[in-house]
Amino acid sequence: MRMMRLIAMREYAENVKTKGFWAGILLFPLILVGVFFFQTMLAESTPTRHYLLIDQSGQYGEAVDAAIRQEQQRRILQAFVDYVLANRIAANPEQTPARANAQIDQFIDDVGVDEVAGLDQWLESGGLDFALTLATPYLREGAPAFVPPREQFVLAALPEGIDAQGDPEQIIEQLRPWLTGERPLVVDGQGSNLFALILIPAQVNTAIVRPGATALAADSTNNGIQYWASNLTDTRLPNAIERSINSTIRNNEFITRGVDVQVVRNVQRTRMPLSRLDPRKAEGQEAVSVADTFRQWAPVGFVYLMFISLMQSVQYLLSNTIEEKSNRIIEVLLASVTPLELMMGKLFGIGLSGITTIFAWLLSFFLFIAFYPGTETELLSQFFSVLLSSDLIPYFIFYFLAGYALYAGIFLAIGSLCNTLKEAQSLMMPMMMILIVPLVTMTFIAQDPNGPVARIMSWIPLFTPFTMMNRAAADPPMIDVIGTTIVLLLSIALVLWLSGKIFRQGVLRTGQPPRIVEVLRMLGHKH
Amino acid sequence: MQEHVLELNGVSKHYGKFTAVDDISFAIPTGSIYGFLGPNGAGKTTTIRMILDILKPDKGSINILGESCALNVRHRIGYLPEEKGLYKKMRVWAIISYFATLKGMDKKTAKSRAFELLERYGLKDYAEARVESLSKGMGQKVQVLSAVAHRPELVILDEPFSGLDPVNQEVLEQLIQDMAQEGQTVIFSTHIMQHAERLCDRMLLIAKGQKIFDGTLADAHAIIPRRVTLECQGDISAVTKSADVLGAIERFPETHNRAAGSRHWELQIKEQADPQKILQCCFENNIALTRFDYTQPSLHDVFVHLVGSDAREHSLR
Repeated sequence: MRMMRLIAMREYAENVKTKGFWAGILLFPLILVGVFFFQTMLAESTPTRHYLLIDQSGQYGEAVDAAIRQEQQRRILQAFVDYVLANRIAANPEQTPARANAQIDQFIDDVGVDEVAGLDQWLESGGLDFALTLATPYLREGAPAFVPPREQFVLAALPEGIDAQGDPEQIIEQLRPWLTGERPLVVDGQGSNLFALILIPAQVNTAIVRPGATALAADSTNNGIQYWASNLTDTRLPNAIERSINSTIRNNEFITRGVDVQVVRNVQRTRMPLSRLDPRKAEGQEAVSVADTFRQWAPVGFVYLMFISLMQSVQYLLSNTIEEKSNRIIEVLLASVTPLELMMGKLFGIGLSGITTIFAWLLSFFLFIAFYPGTETELLSQFFSVLLSSDLIPYFIFYFLAGYALYAGIFLAIGSLCNTLKEAQSLMMPMMMILIVPLVTMTFIAQDPNGPVARIMSWIPLFTPFTMMNRAAADPPMIDVIGTTIVLLLSIALVLWLSGKIFRQGVLRTGQPPRIVEVLRMLGHKH
Repeated sequence: MQEHVLELNGVSKHYGKFTAVDDISFAIPTGSIYGFLGPNGAGKTTTIRMILDILKPDKGSINILGESCALNVRHRIGYLPEEKGLYKKMRVWAIISYFATLKGMDKKTAKSRAFELLERYGLKDYAEARVESLSKGMGQKVQVLSAVAHRPELVILDEPFSGLDPVNQEVLEQLIQDMAQEGQTVIFSTHIMQHAERLCDRMLLIAKGQKIFDGTLADAHAIIPRRVTLECQGDISAVTKSADVLGAIERFPETHNRAAGSRHWELQIKEQADPQKILQCCFENNIALTRFDYTQPSLHDVFVHLVGSDAREHSLR
């Protein structure tokens, strides 16, 4: 016991001193900060995008304009809500940024093209200032002033020498240098790349597709609205324009068919709420809250944490064993301690450093949330508090330790058979593939936690820790919980016993890693 | 105190069809310096590993410090394996102290012991250095120290001299003698016969897994009869008839100047014979000597003689 402790302590102390360990610990918070920092920075620094609009039909320019206005209104309102949520005094867990944003989305989508101007007017005449005065009593002291976001899409003037009423194909040819970025637009004396060209041909109405009529695919694209842009990833603008123009066309249809547009609009805004209820909860509290949804998804977070930490630990265990073996330290050690003490000492020492890493991550997470308040981190902090307050912690501790013991045993045995990491790689390959399975099925199992796949996987010891962790929030049947635990514990005992055998014989081996037959012979060895 | 720290009885070890150690028996008296000699691949390391219970013998029994299994007395044994290795990132004093604590020493004693040893054997300035910054020879010295820091009753050193420069070899010889003086039993294996000759009370020679010789240095010397080399012209039969001479062989060394007509003889003489008498005998019989050599056979000669063609064949493989 004393020997084991000594070995474990040395492993731990040496491991903690390595650069890799600190890189592992620091990388996580760095990525966390980096992601949020970049997100905020990118959102603030997206350049103003200039577009050209050529409306030869004279019917839809207004709709395009409205679409762009609407996008801007959406951004202003969302920024405003985010601002209020970030600076309010008391947090209401039900009112999350995600939920508020969804409400704003709904609201903006309901606004008709002809109403955009109204909302704009409201914003311009100080509507937000009014809202701000209403919100001020609820905001914390010293909150920064609200700065509405800049306009993102700005209409630019057509470059000189281009006839807006000319042949569309000719216009495109003429504008090609600007579209490809060869020539910059000149806006207010400054150069700027052309982001997009929206070209509405004169005969655009012939391209309208109506039910029953066969769509003239080739023709309709030629005559329909053309959106030219070399940026293929930012689809907000084309989507908004398409939506807006379709809405205009439909309005026109209603009018030509003699339907009252106002009636249609009222019908469109009629809706029925759907409440999600959980039968397992106490009466009066059945409503599924955000926290409940989080709780359902929390196991996925745990599985992921388990996976990362396990990967790190077993890899270290492996390379450490190989180092000792190739350095011949193992022989000195074996003259002082039994192979079992050595193996268990390693297992504990490195397991401990794995746990340290997890704690360091959790701690940095806490600190991050505490010192980086904002709407984005708020969601995280809620997820986190659900994670920690839930009854899932004991499950996580148990399954983490069990999973670690199981995989560590296997990787130690592999390490003991190899002299170099290169040799170990081929032996590790199947194990890595097995370890990927829980990661791939993670979301799937969370959606159907008591389905056949989840149940079958729970009974396979190598997957048990991950799968049962994944199912922990869904009250799996008792037989699964107890049965798989027994199978898991028995497998751990078996794996440690067998890998103890391989370890004992493997560590003194030199030369090539053994073939399967030799490994089997080792397992059968009596000593 | 037992008479023997270590006893092996009919110990054998096979790796598949290959016999690494074949029915070896020997006993090592307490407090002696015991040399473990043999050509490469003779089975020295395997024997040592079996003594330490790192490997299990297929046959035979081992008694070490009164126990049948080294594991029970492992705190009383110090071991330096043939292939040296240390944790590269650890500090020199820490590694010595770590191995001592693994042998049951408490941490504080182990630390002061580490510094004491480093000072005594000239590594004081490197105590805080990391192992990876040491030269190979220094690293090896550190490893020897870490093997003996816990004052074991029995010290087993596998090839402790390989890779050391002459100065450090002397330091190591000193260390071995220091330990013997404190009553510790030291077993070491080596190829270098001079070390064995200088240090060992007794020695064991094995080849191809079998014991070839076990005894004191004097016993070893007695194996090869003492020799006198003569170079002269004419007949030497008068000398060979002398009672002290066991036999005479004529040699033809390449350096020998045959043109002058002189011949080169090697006489084997009795254990107790006095070479002076043979010289006298030569004068009395008017043999014109151009050379008279009396040499005590070295351990090296004994080694080559005993291992013979096998060793040479082996080393050419």
